[in-house]
Amino acid sequence: ALLAGSHLLKGYRGGHVVIRFALGGCTNRPFFRIVAAHSRRARDGKYLEQLGCLDPLPNAHGERVAGLNLERLRHWLGCGAQLSRPAEKLLGLAGFLPLHPMTVTGAERLRRRAREVAAPPAAGSSGAGDAP
Amino acid sequence: GPPAEGEAARPAFADEAVQTLLRRMTGLDLQKVFRPVKTELKPPKYKLMTEAQLEEATRKAIEEAKEKLVMPPVLNEREPIDDVLAEDKFLEGTETTKYVFTDLTYSIPHRERFIVVREPNGVLRKATWEERDRMIQIFFPKEGRRVIPPVVFKDEHLVTVFQQDRHEDILNMCIAQFEPDSPDYIRVHHRTYDDIEKHAKYDLLRSTRHFGGMVWYLVNRKKTDGLLTDMIHRDLLDDATSLITLYHMLHPECQSAKEAKERKLQGVDLIKVFVKTESQKEGYIQLALQAYEEAMATSTAS
Repeated sequence: ALLAGSHLLKGYRGGHVVIRFALGGCTNRPFFRIVAAHSRRARDGKYLEQLGCLDPLPNAHGERVAGLNLERLRHWLGCGAQLSRPAEKLLGLAGFLPLHPMTVTGAERLRRRAREVAAPPAAGSSGAGDAP
Repeated sequence: GPPAEGEAARPAFADEAVQTLLRRMTGLDLQKVFRPVKTELKPPKYKLMTEAQLEEATRKAIEEAKEKLVMPPVLNEREPIDDVLAEDKFLEGTETTKYVFTDLTYSIPHRERFIVVREPNGVLRKATWEERDRMIQIFFPKEGRRVIPPVVFKDEHLVTVFQQDRHEDILNMCIAQFEPDSPDYIRVHHRTYDDIEKHAKYDLLRSTRHFGGMVWYLVNRKKTDGLLTDMIHRDLLDDATSLITLYHMLHPECQSAKEAKERKLQGVDLIKVFVKTESQKEGYIQLALQAYEEAMATSTAS
């Protein structure tokens, strides 16, 4: 519901504060800002506060650089902000939160797929040789 | 190797007595301290002053020069960090490159900042000193410091710098770029001091803030002969006595120190005793002393 008068001041119904990634950068060059914003806002729109950044492309030393303002993050989490799933995974990797269960599951799935790719050709070739 | 500085019994670089001696030896040549730094050209300003005003201006200039001549700290090389916070071996193979996480809280000092690295094999460890310096420069840039250290600090390029006699400039750049306890800072400083000592270019650093560090380095390694000769040639006998006093403070077990303490020597006698017992290039220093004494004799006679 829009307040009468100001176009700039958007009043929302419901919604909560989330800590999520806002995408920026150029074509084929993403850059994420870790941001505390209302859940109903646009992904790259007006936010409450920037809490850090993440560069998903590796730099000259082969590392992906991420900055996190832990003090303000703690403040917003204390105010009852929720986290998006990629934000939770990133903080799990950083060690600020415990590791996300989907990270562990993802790693197990990858390993199972790798084993299946290695094992069935071996089983398939020996099976085809055995079969009449 | 050379003994570590800062043990309880031995005097450290930052002690008042040591600093006073080093400051006296550095000298205070106003012309050199305030020589034109390359800034944009402005026409010179002329002021008409009385004698009293001129004295006041000179006094203020001397105080400002003392600010500029504060010596940068001399510290031991820092211990490498290797501290593992977590090992999650099942994450092996999910990522191909490592993540570096920096804590961007504004109010904590850089030394206490948390900078951790999550390796592709799942290990979460604290970042090495080089990674720390790079990350801190990326997020909290400092004036005059580059994220990747300039190539001029490599040994093969330092040679070119020394051939152009720009020791002071390279030392200023080194102070801006590196932390005082990093191995690169210490290596560049030691190379500079070695080159100055090899070619006897002591005057390049006199009246700058690097002179104290150079004297400390030479006295710790007992390579003071060239410096002593240079001081006597320039008729700086007080500086020579300060140098020898500092030497005795740092090496109290040597013979000249014991003799000086017993007989309470001052001035030229102190230098003579030191030259006889401690120096390698006795001949040069004796010649210089003789020349000095002859010059004194002729000037007092005439």
